[in-house]
Amino acid sequence: MLSRVADSLYWMSRYIERAEHTARVLAVKLESMAEQTPDDGRASWSRVVQALGDMSWDEVPDDAFAITKRLAFDRTNASSLIASLTLARDNARQVREALSNEVWGNLNRLYLYLSAVQGDSIRAHAPASLFRRALDEMQALEGVIYSTLSHNEGWYFLELGKYIERAQLLGRLLDVYFRKDGVQPKYFDWLVLLKFCTAFEPYTKLYTASVRPQKLAQFLLFDAEFPHSICFSIDRVSEALAHVAPGAAPGRRAAVERLAGRLKAGVDFGQIDELMSGGIDVFLSDITRQCEKIHEVVFASYITYGAETVL
Amino acid sequence: MQQEALADIEDFGGPDPLTELPRAAFAGKDAPYARYRLGAPYDEMFAPDGRPRTSYAALDRRLTSLPLDELVRRQHACEQSFLHQGITFTVYNDSQATERIIPTDLLPRIVTAKEWDHVERGLIQRIQALNLFLGDIYGDAKVLKDGIVPREMIFGSKHYRREMRGIPVPHGAYVNVCGSDLVRNEAGEFLVLEDNLRVPSGVSYMLANRDVVRRAFPGIFRSMNVRAIEQYPLELLATLRALAPFDQDVSIAVLTPGVFNSAYFEHAFLARQMGVELVEGRDLLVNDNIVYTRTTSGLKRIDVIYRRIDDDFVDPLIFRENSSLGVPGLLNAYRAGNVVIANALGTGVADDKAIYAYVPRLIRYYLSEEPLLGSVETFLCREEKSLSHVLDNLDRLVVKAVGESGGYGMLVGPHASQSERAAFAEKLKADPDNYIAQPTIALSTAPTFVGDGVEARHVDLRPFILTGAETKLVPGALTRVALKQGSLVVNSSQGGGSKDTWVLSA
Repeated sequence: MLSRVADSLYWMSRYIERAEHTARVLAVKLESMAEQTPDDGRASWSRVVQALGDMSWDEVPDDAFAITKRLAFDRTNASSLIASLTLARDNARQVREALSNEVWGNLNRLYLYLSAVQGDSIRAHAPASLFRRALDEMQALEGVIYSTLSHNEGWYFLELGKYIERAQLLGRLLDVYFRKDGVQPKYFDWLVLLKFCTAFEPYTKLYTASVRPQKLAQFLLFDAEFPHSICFSIDRVSEALAHVAPGAAPGRRAAVERLAGRLKAGVDFGQIDELMSGGIDVFLSDITRQCEKIHEVVFASYITYGAETVL
Repeated sequence: MQQEALADIEDFGGPDPLTELPRAAFAGKDAPYARYRLGAPYDEMFAPDGRPRTSYAALDRRLTSLPLDELVRRQHACEQSFLHQGITFTVYNDSQATERIIPTDLLPRIVTAKEWDHVERGLIQRIQALNLFLGDIYGDAKVLKDGIVPREMIFGSKHYRREMRGIPVPHGAYVNVCGSDLVRNEAGEFLVLEDNLRVPSGVSYMLANRDVVRRAFPGIFRSMNVRAIEQYPLELLATLRALAPFDQDVSIAVLTPGVFNSAYFEHAFLARQMGVELVEGRDLLVNDNIVYTRTTSGLKRIDVIYRRIDDDFVDPLIFRENSSLGVPGLLNAYRAGNVVIANALGTGVADDKAIYAYVPRLIRYYLSEEPLLGSVETFLCREEKSLSHVLDNLDRLVVKAVGESGGYGMLVGPHASQSERAAFAEKLKADPDNYIAQPTIALSTAPTFVGDGVEARHVDLRPFILTGAETKLVPGALTRVALKQGSLVVNSSQGGGSKDTWVLSA
């Protein structure tokens, strides 16, 4: 497929994943506000702001609406929900011919729905339910991406973007919660963390409702069956890489597959007890770095290569 | 977030609307036509006495049997459907870009089988003559030697491409896709107003309008035997395939200026419907006079390019150096015969508004036939006698700059103010060669849904003519509507909208 099309599909998918993550974190956070003391609530909001990548505040304001507005609807905040959706849609428009009517229509309607929300009017909108409705639409979008597109090279570029993004988002979220400095999370915060990752019920089925940081880390890092774990995400990244650019020269493919193999081995053989005794932050930042490296090599090998290198 | 339904269940059952007893609703009197004004010399739907014409009888019955608010709801659903499909163009303001739909009208415009047959034969004749003309002026130039067309009109045209001389073009088909604009005179005959031989657009709106309007009036659509147009992308694909020197594995691409172009939706739509790549200039590269696309698996050769960018932007090495839309080296690959570009370069010389005046003569010259379709009386301001006539009658004429399109650089005399006319007269005197004038064509009017009722608005007709190994049309067209009451300007860049066009099969 055209390199430019692969590029746009990949980024469209990354931005959809980012938008979905932001929407879910905000929905869960707003829904759980009533159950926390003001102090715990502040610490919890501060973690959310860090995890969603907005570092421009010196001090996080004590106003859930102001934070929500900035993280969701502020177009000047490059990582806001609406900014991510806009970029997802811009990329989709670039490759409109590579998408089905269902995928485009769903994404476009989702965008039109959220872009109609004016920042100042969110108080009137019952924001948690607004994000829940957006999440329903996002899941429908995920459904039509799966069921109305051929699972060909383009689809695997979508997979690649989605799971590289997911692994990085999970990495950042876990990093914020397992940091040794600052106010340490309480029992309720760990519950909320599981819900940020849609992981509460799958976790309890495996470990019962006794939520302990070590078990939680074990689950979100290494569970091979749960879609919002890092291990699962990396598996999907490796599989996607095996399917993209099928006709590329063996040398180019080898460079990409070597990196994927190394990352997968690191996750497959990671030991939670070793990590918990120190070094979980090193482990997480190493995963993030390797994801970034894979991104770079995929682009250099399949997308931005110079014509002179293949003629 | 469900899409709104366009029609009611009753549209799918019940008595056939054509067999119902006729009831009379008069234009200008009865709902929903109470505000309908029959001022134009020809109205598509109503005879001069205010009664609907036979071809519109079924539509009339449907419109008068539906409650007004149901019509309003369907019009709204049509617009929503366009918005959700992303059939929009972008308007850039100071701070942010807003997307608007090109206004689409709920009510179909109807063309009878007999009318269509005449239009079809007339346009095929016309395009054949124009293709022969292009082959001639880029070849032996007999038409100039025989004095049919003045030499300086060709060589002085900014759309004449010296680089095209002597390059063979497959099947002699320079204009592979043409969109001609037709209007009606007071006798109801179709006249050609303009040939668009460069990169005509609008065909996606023809198809998109059909898609929504058919769903808004499914019952009458079925009972009226409207001819299908959905095969257009397939016909276009066959036309492009026929241009390649071989049959198997022809690699075709649609070349677009990119997502910021106002017709981008159409480019993507056609690529998707044909199942070919949509490429931008930056996806293509030329090596050793061969054109490639950059793919994830390496470079892939391209044989036929359906280009939707203007001549000037095709190859920055030859034409505009500062253009990043085109492909350096493309013209040399074309001249070497390694790639076909459709439409061929340099076709603009033949849709010049001055050449328009010569087309009837070209039809006689090349085909030894009388033109089937009339055209509009045209005064060439380059001729002194015409110029003084034009200057004396500016208030009754439409004056157009020869090389412009899209409604730019023109004066609509009857609608202009005294000072606008005076200013334009100066421009005319300064550069008479650049202008032609025509009597104001009182475009026909057609029923258009406005606010909460049906009103008369001026329309034209743009069918699309394909030429590969042969010349053909799909039985349909884009009907453009001047949405402002009384306005004669139908261009979408100037506030026009569009309607579905139903060509009847019998």
